[in-house]
Amino acid sequence: MTDELLVIRCRLGERDALARLVRQWHEPVLVYVRRMLGPAHAEDVAQEVWLAVLRGLPRLRQPERFTPWLYTIARRVVVNRLREEYARPEVPGEAAERAVPDHGDLVADRDEVARRLGGLPAREREVLILFHLEDLPLEACAEICGVPVGTVKSRLSRARRMVRAAIEAEGEGR
Amino acid sequence: MNADEMLARLSRPLSPWRRVAAAVAAIGGGTGAAAIGVLWITEPQLPARTQVAFAGLVAIGLAWAGYGIWALTRRTPLFARDRVVAGWLAVGATTLLAVFTAAVAVARQRGWALPAVALALLLLAAVNLVRARAVRSELLRRKHELGG
Repeated sequence: MTDELLVIRCRLGERDALARLVRQWHEPVLVYVRRMLGPAHAEDVAQEVWLAVLRGLPRLRQPERFTPWLYTIARRVVVNRLREEYARPEVPGEAAERAVPDHGDLVADRDEVARRLGGLPAREREVLILFHLEDLPLEACAEICGVPVGTVKSRLSRARRMVRAAIEAEGEGR
Repeated sequence: MNADEMLARLSRPLSPWRRVAAAVAAIGGGTGAAAIGVLWITEPQLPARTQVAFAGLVAIGLAWAGYGIWALTRRTPLFARDRVVAGWLAVGATTLLAVFTAAVAVARQRGWALPAVALALLLLAAVNLVRARAVRSELLRRKHELGG
């Protein structure tokens, strides 16, 4: 069943479809929240995300755009929890053309990236999660974060440099 | 936490009965408060204790209406099917209110504006029902198109 059909059945109020939607997306939502906030309150925050999703579902006009819509809601709940971190001014971005995304070297190792997430600022952390770990396209990442695609590219580039620097620092420390 | 545990946590908004119950609270509370209000307004020279009793009943009706509206907006959304059910409930409740206010106005020969207000509410409820049915039909059509 496609996401669009599932969402339409949910909007109709079919209970089995709602349960299926939660089953299908529970793990990605929980993983996203856990990666952004850590494990301590992840389950409560994930529940908060689902309550917001259920509240918003009857008004979802484009069921085919469900995935970015879901992550936008999840992000909003996470931003509420990380208000202080998001309030800090962003480090000036580098030119987007220098920040063409690549899937090579260090980001090929998803476990390595996932392990380093905690050391990154929230904005860099979220684009790394959405783009590299949740496999969302750049356009969807930009929509979810509410920024232009170029900004997502800059943040990705910065995030990769930070991860690379952390790996190198660890290597030198050994 | 697995998906089933999350579903258990979401049992309230996922329950169609709870959603309809919230709509019943909102519509029933509002209609009840309006009916008591009509009696109160059209009854000449009521003793103070009776007026206090009327005020209490109106407050109870409004409290239920407030709870229902809060639940529907903050906790338990109405999906397309629920909206049609709630639409019929609202049409039924406002029809009863219109008949009741007309009967009271005829019996007491006063308060003629009240049946007009009730009729306006009935009209609003009917428009809302038509829209709810149209939205549900559109969703059903799309569902069949997608093979559901």
